[in-house]
Order: sequence, then C-alpha cells, then structure tokens
Amino acid sequence: MSRTSRLHVTFTQCRSSSGLSQEKLGALLSKPTWSVRSLLPPSNDSTNTTPQESSAPTTPEITSKQLHHLLRLSALPAPQDEAEEARMLQTLSSQLHFVRSIQSIDTTGVEPLRSLRDESERGDKERTLGMAEMQDALDQEEIVGNHHKRIRRRPRRIQDEGIKNAEDCDVLGSAKRKVGRFFVVEGAPREE
Amino acid sequence: MTKSEPVRSLLFQSLSSRPNTLFSRPICHSCCRKLAGRSALYARGGGISFPTRTLQTQALLEEVVPFRKQLKDEAKRKRAALSGNGAKKKSTDKELISNWELTVGIELHAELNTAKKLFSSAATSISDEPNSHVALFDAAFPGSQPHFQKETLLPALRAAIALNCKIQRRSTFDRKHYFYQDQPAGYQITQYYEPFAKDGHITLYTHDGIDPADAPSITIPIKQIQMEQDTAKTLYQPPSTYLLDFNRVSHPLIEIISMPAIHHPATAAAYVRKIQSILKSVDAATAGMEVGGLRADVNVSIRRRKDQHGEDERAGHSYSGFKGLGQRTEIKNLSSLRAVSDAIAIERSRQIAVLESGGTIEGETRGFTLGSSETRKLRSKEGEIDYRYMPDPDIAPVVIGEDLVQHLRDTLPALPDDVMDSLVKDGVSMKDAKTLLSLEDGDRLDYYYDVVHELTIIFEIDGKKPPKKMGRIVANWVIHELGALLTTTESNFTPDLVPASSLALILEPLLHKQITNDIARFLFSRNLHWAHSREPIPSVPEIIDAEGLRLQSLSEAVYEQIAKPLLDENPKMVKAIKEKGQTGKIMWFVGQMMRGSDEGKQGKLEAKRAEEVVRRLIGVEGGKER
Repeated sequence: MSRTSRLHVTFTQCRSSSGLSQEKLGALLSKPTWSVRSLLPPSNDSTNTTPQESSAPTTPEITSKQLHHLLRLSALPAPQDEAEEARMLQTLSSQLHFVRSIQSIDTTGVEPLRSLRDESERGDKERTLGMAEMQDALDQEEIVGNHHKRIRRRPRRIQDEGIKNAEDCDVLGSAKRKVGRFFVVEGAPREE
Repeated sequence: MTKSEPVRSLLFQSLSSRPNTLFSRPICHSCCRKLAGRSALYARGGGISFPTRTLQTQALLEEVVPFRKQLKDEAKRKRAALSGNGAKKKSTDKELISNWELTVGIELHAELNTAKKLFSSAATSISDEPNSHVALFDAAFPGSQPHFQKETLLPALRAAIALNCKIQRRSTFDRKHYFYQDQPAGYQITQYYEPFAKDGHITLYTHDGIDPADAPSITIPIKQIQMEQDTAKTLYQPPSTYLLDFNRVSHPLIEIISMPAIHHPATAAAYVRKIQSILKSVDAATAGMEVGGLRADVNVSIRRRKDQHGEDERAGHSYSGFKGLGQRTEIKNLSSLRAVSDAIAIERSRQIAVLESGGTIEGETRGFTLGSSETRKLRSKEGEIDYRYMPDPDIAPVVIGEDLVQHLRDTLPALPDDVMDSLVKDGVSMKDAKTLLSLEDGDRLDYYYDVVHELTIIFEIDGKKPPKKMGRIVANWVIHELGALLTTTESNFTPDLVPASSLALILEPLLHKQITNDIARFLFSRNLHWAHSREPIPSVPEIIDAEGLRLQSLSEAVYEQIAKPLLDENPKMVKAIKEKGQTGKIMWFVGQMMRGSDEGKQGKLEAKRAEEVVRRLIGVEGGKER
C-alpha cells in the first residue's frame, strides 16, 4: 500500500472534525510544508529548495586554530590534508548555522529539559527519597557503644545477590593488553 | 637510651626497695617533675609519649616533646645560632611574607563509607584483587546504564549535616568531560550545576592547631558539597606504561569546596585535619589520607596587604563573592597534612618571588611531592582543559525527603568538638580529651564513660558527691595507666581487660584519698594478674582492708622527720633551689623521700604533701597544682 492510501485509510477511521473532505485532507497532508533544511545555510546547488527560508543570523568564521583545539578536546584525529580540513570547516559551519537557528527561539521562562523523564512536581514526588525508601539502607547500620554512641555500617554480606550480579562480567575478557589482573595502556611519558 | 629493659614483674617492682634506675639516667627537669612519685613500674625509656597502638593522628596531636627530640631541637638551635646567614635569611623571608597576604581555598575529596558504588551495584573496596569489583557501567562498556545507588546518600547527607550545610531538596548530576586513562567513560559524573548541599561552615579553634594569628578561632565557610565518582587506580611503569585497576571507578566521593578564607598554611592543615575527624565521627568517610581516602587540592593566591601599599591593581580576581584576590594556582593531589602545609608555604614563597621581581602569576595547575623544595608545573595555560559540563541525561534528579534529613540530624553521632567540650567540663585536659576520642575509634572513650558511670553509682550509694576532679583522674587512668599496662602485657585494649566496675572500685578509695597512687597501681596490675590466672578475684575493698593498705594520713611531723635529714645531707642542692631558683631539684628530694624512706616504700607517702613539706622547709613558694 502506498503511504497516501494508508493515511487515507487511517483518516476514514477517525472522525473528521475540520469539515474538509478526505480527498482534500489527503492532498493537504501529502506535501511537506517544512524541512529541517531551512535551518541549514542555503546550499549553492539548489536542488530541494523549500518554500520557507530560514531567518537565522549569519555564522562567524571558524578558524583553523579553533578547529584543531576542538579536535584535541574531543580526542579526534587532526585532518590529514588541506582538503579534509576545508571539508571539516564547512561541515562545522553548517552545524553551527543550524544551532544558531535553534538558539534564536525565545525560551524565557521555560525550564530546559534535561532528560526524557517526568520532570513535573508529581514526578519529583514519586522519586523523593524519604525515610520509607531509605529504611533498607538504615537497617544496614548498627549503633556501637554504651555512652559514646557511634554509627557503624554492618560488614557487607558476602553473598549479596545484587553485588554478585553486578560484578558477574568478564571485564578483562576483551582487553587488548593485560598483565595479570591489570589492564595495560600506553600513556604520555612522564618526567619524574 | 636502651630499649632492652628486662621485664620486671609488676608486683615485685611496686614492693621492692631497689633503686629506681629511671632516675640514674640523665633526664631533663620537666621529665623528672612528671615522673616523680611514680614507682619503677615505668622503667621504659625517658620519653613520656605512651605508645597507643591504633592511633592514626597521634603524632600530630602530640604536644609533649619526647626527650630525644628535645636534645635534637637544642642541637638544631645551637647550629642555627652559629650560622648567622641562616638567621638573616629567615628574617627577610618573614618581612616579605608580612607584605603579602596569602589566600587559600581547599577542595577535599573524601571516599564515602558505602557498601556499593555510586552508579552500579558493584562493591566498594580498598585493596582487593585488581578488577574484581567492576560492573559493566564502571568499565564504560557501550550500552551500559548508570543505576544510582541510594544508600550512598546516607553518609553524604551526614557529612553535609555535620558541616552545617543547607541540604538542597533537588540536585542533579552532570558530566565533566576529559580524557585520561583512569577515566574509562571519557567523563566524570559530578554535580556541577546543582550540588546536594550548600553554604556550610566549620569553626577551627586554637586546640585544632590553627596558626596563632587566627587564634582563638576562625570560621571557614564551605561553598558546597557535591557527590561524584572516583577514578581508577593507576600503577605507573616507566617510561610510559600504566597498569589500571578499575575497582575504584565510581566509588562515591564527596567533594567539599571551601571559600577562599584561609590565610595561613598551619590553618589549612588544621582545616583538613578537622574535616577528616568530623567525617570519621559521623561514619561518613573512614579511610584516612594515608590510604588515599582523603585527597586535597589547594588553590593559592597572594595579594599585597592593603595598609602597606594601597590597593593592588593586579588583585582583580574574585571567587564566590570574595573580591580583590590575586591570580591563583592550583596544587593537586596532596595526600598528607604535612604536604598541604608545606606545599602552600612553598607556593607562597614562589609567588612572592615572581611578583616581587616584576613577573606575573600564571593560572596554572601544579603538583607537589612531600620533601621537595618547590611545586612543579603540571599543565600550562595552552593545555588547559575545557570540561564542557553538561547535565547527564541518563540520571534522574535526586530528590531528598525532609523527613530523612530530619531523622539523620536527630540521630547524628556526637561531633568531636561537643564531646571534648563536655569532657573538659568534667575536668579532663584538652590533650587527654583528644586522645580519648581517637583511641580505638572511640571505644576507649566509651570505657571512660563506663568507669565514670560506675563511680557515680558508688558515690550515690555512699551518699557522697563525686569530687570535681574525677574526670581528670579517670581519664588519666584510662589513658596512661591502662595504656602502660597494655604495653607491658602486650595486649590490645578491650573493655573486659579491666572491667569498668573493677577500675571504679580501685579509683573510689583513691578519690577519697584513702589509698595512695602507688597502692592503686598495685591493685590495678594485680587485677589483671587475677583475670589471667582465673583465681576468684577478691573484692577491692577486701584487699585494701586485709593488707592494711588504707592510708592513714600521716602527720606533718612524720613528713618533716623524713625530709629534714635529706635537706641537711644536701646543702648544695638546697642552696641551688633557694638562690638559683632551680625548683626542679625539689622533686629530687620528693623522689628520695618516696623511695628512700620506709614509709615511702610502703606506699604511705603522698607525693604532693611531701613536695609541700620540702618547699616549706626550704622556704620556697608553692608549686603548680598537679
């Protein structure tokens, strides 16, 4: 089945409240009205031009020095020749154009989303760690002393299932180099 | 000083009339004074420091100087006096330092006392077989996810409460990116934007060892405390190979960041020492600096003192509201108290030298090894790291319930300062209070309280009030007398060695001045002998009565009868005391009385009364209250 006819089927199953006929809806939805390309700098070979042009600010030049600094920070290899460097700078420039377009949106009063979680009040309440949630951990402690009372964590149970499961992996199994139970790596030579 | 003293039986010593070999060695007057009145029970070297086995910080708390060290110090002073140049250099150093004000901020990393790691269920460990406690996430295996272990909150919260911080209800974790072989993920998970505790403080006093310029007390504000992961242990094999052990990766750490409010190296060391002891007392971090459980990074800057040269235009840096600071350098990974104070002093000298000669301080990271005479550059400004902090999207925010915080606050163990305050109120000396707190992780202190408790009961039964100095005497016995007994019998302390009730029964007549110190010691050592021999232990009062040990307070006349001949036989010494003020020689007379006379040998003389009588007969003013 083609995509449009699938959509067609879906919409015949829902109630249509907009008053438009199914054919008109189908026609409306078949053409994209926006593409992420609008956030990229206009390319020289205009193949897929979109109706809407971005109004993003122009991006400043990135210097070769900046590029090399960023590559060093990210432990990425430096470009092998001029051509590769030029390509990297071009790509980076497009990416920055995209980012600036996003940044141009006004987000005053909006809390940034840190992760895909329930960050509402209710979510916070659910994940609150209070006495009930910590009782298990508190039971792992004892009080020593008759007068000078001190808290001591009870010695770890040797057969703790949770610990055993977590540690049950062959960490050294895929190590390229090892000596006994140690991983071996080459680092920067040290002057002592 | 020979260490190969023949071991003498305690009973024999207390009753023998052999000369006290301790006094036949040349020792200084202050040692003589302190040892006078003790019998030959303590014929071990001339040093006064009592070996305490499980003490970690004893060396630093030591105020009493062993005799050997005193001799060395004397020799050092003589040599310094001879070399005039050395003295001159010291005075110019002092001048330079007085022109500049030092500012120090300290970042402490403490390993939390938990069973499991911060983001995985693998177990924490100190020195287990390498790579035996590593979960997939710890080794940064692709696709592995962090699982926040909520038990790690308990020690973290206790530490923050003990340091007077405000606990933040909501805190989040962030990634701090940098590449290094001890960091498998390429980033460390820390709390950069929203730490779990802020705005704390700690107050340091003279007895904590702060610089005299900060006396009597100084309060250091704490900016924040955050939770973060530890890194792997690396073993360096020259020239460029590293062996990695990931057991320590993701071990929970708290980083305690102080405000730049410390101005002297000694105060910096005192700050670190005190935080270590507070963390230990609330069971939050129990591994000390010497095993790597506590590490310090210090930030050092200097600026000209305002009153001397006006505002320093170079001192335009600020940190968290503290303005007018000079450019700082960071010295990383200091792992002992000595290293902390030495590194700061040495860095201060280096910065002074640079600025005095017209140079500028670079904001760089430096390293220091204990024993070296300078800090060394680790990273230049070009090699500066951009951590690119970002919230970790894999980890949910931590929301802490108010009921939990309140419960931890209510059940927080007593902090060292509060314990010492109450001990000092009982009459215990500050030094003894500190010692009690540290011996056997506080077990000795618990025993002290047991003894005091038993004594209080005995006094109540007798209908008498416990004497005011009870705390002092009990502490003395629990630390020094029991300590000596432990050494001679080569045992470790347990509360059953000399049960608190037995010690209380021995001390009660002593406190009533019905028996002398010597008799009490005899009973004390006898008690241990009986415990080992499993004979039925007769009660202490029975022994005292049966063997006629009860002190009949001898009259002044008896004391004078013993003292006068001694004074007559040694006119030169009397002259030295009277005219040259050599009051130490008084104790020599006391010693002669205590061990030379019949009454003395029977333990019927009290050293204090003997001293008073000697002083009176010679015509010298009273001595210090002992």
